[in-house]
Amino acid sequence: MSLNKVATLLNQPAQTLGYTNPLGLSRMFSIVTEGLTRKFNAFTAVNHLSLEISEGEVFGLLGPNGAGKTTTLRMLACLISPTEGSATIAGYDIRSEPLKVRQSVGILTENPSLYERLTAYENMDFFAEAYGLTESSERHSRIKELLEFFELWDRRNDKVATFSKGMKQKLAIVRATVHNPPILFLDEPTAGLDPESAKEIRDLMASLSQHEKRTILLCTHHLEDAEKLCNRVTIMSKGKTVIIGTPEELREETTGQPTIHIILRAINKKIIDAIERSGHAKTVTTNAADSSLAVTVDDAKTATPEIIRSIVHAEGSILSVNILRPSLEEAYLKLIREDPK
Amino acid sequence: MTLRKVWLVFRKDWLEIRRNWQILMPIVAVPIFVSVLLPTVIVLLPNLTPSTAVSAQNLESIMKNLPSNVLNEISTFTAQQALIYLLTLYFLAPLFLVIPVMASSVIASDSFAGEKERKTLEALLATPLSDAELFIGKVLVAFIPAVIITFASFAVYSTMVDVLALPLFSGKILLPNTIWMIMIFGLSPILSLTSIGLTVTISAKVKGFREAQQISVILLAPILALVFGQVSGTLFLGPSILLALTGAFALVDLLVFYAGVKAFKREEILSKPT
Repeated sequence: MSLNKVATLLNQPAQTLGYTNPLGLSRMFSIVTEGLTRKFNAFTAVNHLSLEISEGEVFGLLGPNGAGKTTTLRMLACLISPTEGSATIAGYDIRSEPLKVRQSVGILTENPSLYERLTAYENMDFFAEAYGLTESSERHSRIKELLEFFELWDRRNDKVATFSKGMKQKLAIVRATVHNPPILFLDEPTAGLDPESAKEIRDLMASLSQHEKRTILLCTHHLEDAEKLCNRVTIMSKGKTVIIGTPEELREETTGQPTIHIILRAINKKIIDAIERSGHAKTVTTNAADSSLAVTVDDAKTATPEIIRSIVHAEGSILSVNILRPSLEEAYLKLIREDPK
Repeated sequence: MTLRKVWLVFRKDWLEIRRNWQILMPIVAVPIFVSVLLPTVIVLLPNLTPSTAVSAQNLESIMKNLPSNVLNEISTFTAQQALIYLLTLYFLAPLFLVIPVMASSVIASDSFAGEKERKTLEALLATPLSDAELFIGKVLVAFIPAVIITFASFAVYSTMVDVLALPLFSGKILLPNTIWMIMIFGLSPILSLTSIGLTVTISAKVKGFREAQQISVILLAPILALVFGQVSGTLFLGPSILLALTGAFALVDLLVFYAGVKAFKREEILSKPT
């Protein structure tokens, strides 16, 4: 799928079905939750979750199974009500205006939730009309557009029961976007997809956010998706928010200082002294076996040129320099393991 | 609530049902049994096998509990004519109250519980369709086929009875009559609405289809009581009783629908584990 194709598909305004700002104010935040809590008897699935998600932002909800991600999504989609706290979606209160919230949201649930005895087209036609696309011709052109985009148009008259898992997942994404909602809740959108299809979905989400200013709340175990797409993420554990920030901030917060890995032709004391005197190195670790150095610094951007300069002054021969950044996955695993509960 | 959206839910469900033989089978089988097989056996069997022919003594025991107006109707009939007349026009009549209830029971039980089992419910509940639109749409998809099948069964049954009984009653047309008209077009749809409303409410509350159907079978009990009451002679469904029952169940329907829509909570449906 080309980016042109994405741009063509999305070159239309966000659907405005019942979606008007009730107060006529400019919306800074598409999703606001305050102390959102959900208990199932004695078990607290979501515990005082407070978030502010801006229009056009891709926000990731990360966490292990049972962290409360899906329950959060269900509360925000008005499928279950919170035990405590409040939330507004596109300016609408989830408790008092559930129908307007549902009109403003497209949701991809954990399961594709498709009618297997109906064809792909029949499924989409039903949901498009349920979401308010009353004109048959409008529904047809929108469905055609989306099914062609996902290369499912040729299979439109086949029953969904005959589809592969990946095709069902694509069709479920078509359903979530068929009414052009300004806000999307996506629960594991790339689950079960092959790498090429997963990339298509990621490209679509990036375009929806960047070009269309649609807000996406993404629940995922796939940290690759979160790292590539999310402006900010929160890691949830046992119903609570462990941390919120950009993927970069999370990495820095959880793994400390960046490390510069330098391979030299040969290491000697003069070079190590020069690095330590540069004033940027926090620690210097040497590995004689491959003549490499690992230098921890506060700020890799300013420290790297200075350290290289000091090595050159000390007559060292540099073979390679790499700034090592911990992945979001490492940060995630560290946070989950450190979570005291 | 808009009718267009109610109709949308109906259309979607009907498309699914049409392609599901497990649901269609009981809808078709019960009416065929009642409207085709039973009259054929009742009318033809005494002629084909003389040992099954009714004796005057047998008839007396059946007639002892009948109201006088029915006894007057059959006073000039032979024993065989009287038996066929009573069986086809009176004793089998309450079975036509069972047809719509049985025909709709599978669809109504499947309405929400089936969707929950097939994991399609979450996406449906996430749509902006209101609780009332979903509930009434689900009721209609069970009600409309059940009523159509009942009317069709009645048409087939009347034709079968009239054709088979024609030689025996010297060309007299037995059906339709007033009692049957009130029952088929009055009590039967009203009663099936009660049953469907309750079953759909149950279906939204339970974990799965089987549980919903097991509970809904209990709803057949009062209708079966009418059948046995009529056969045993303890109850006779005359026009006035039928009209009174139709009115009473119409009021019950209003209550069932009001309570059903009020009791329908998306919240509870997804909060319960499958």
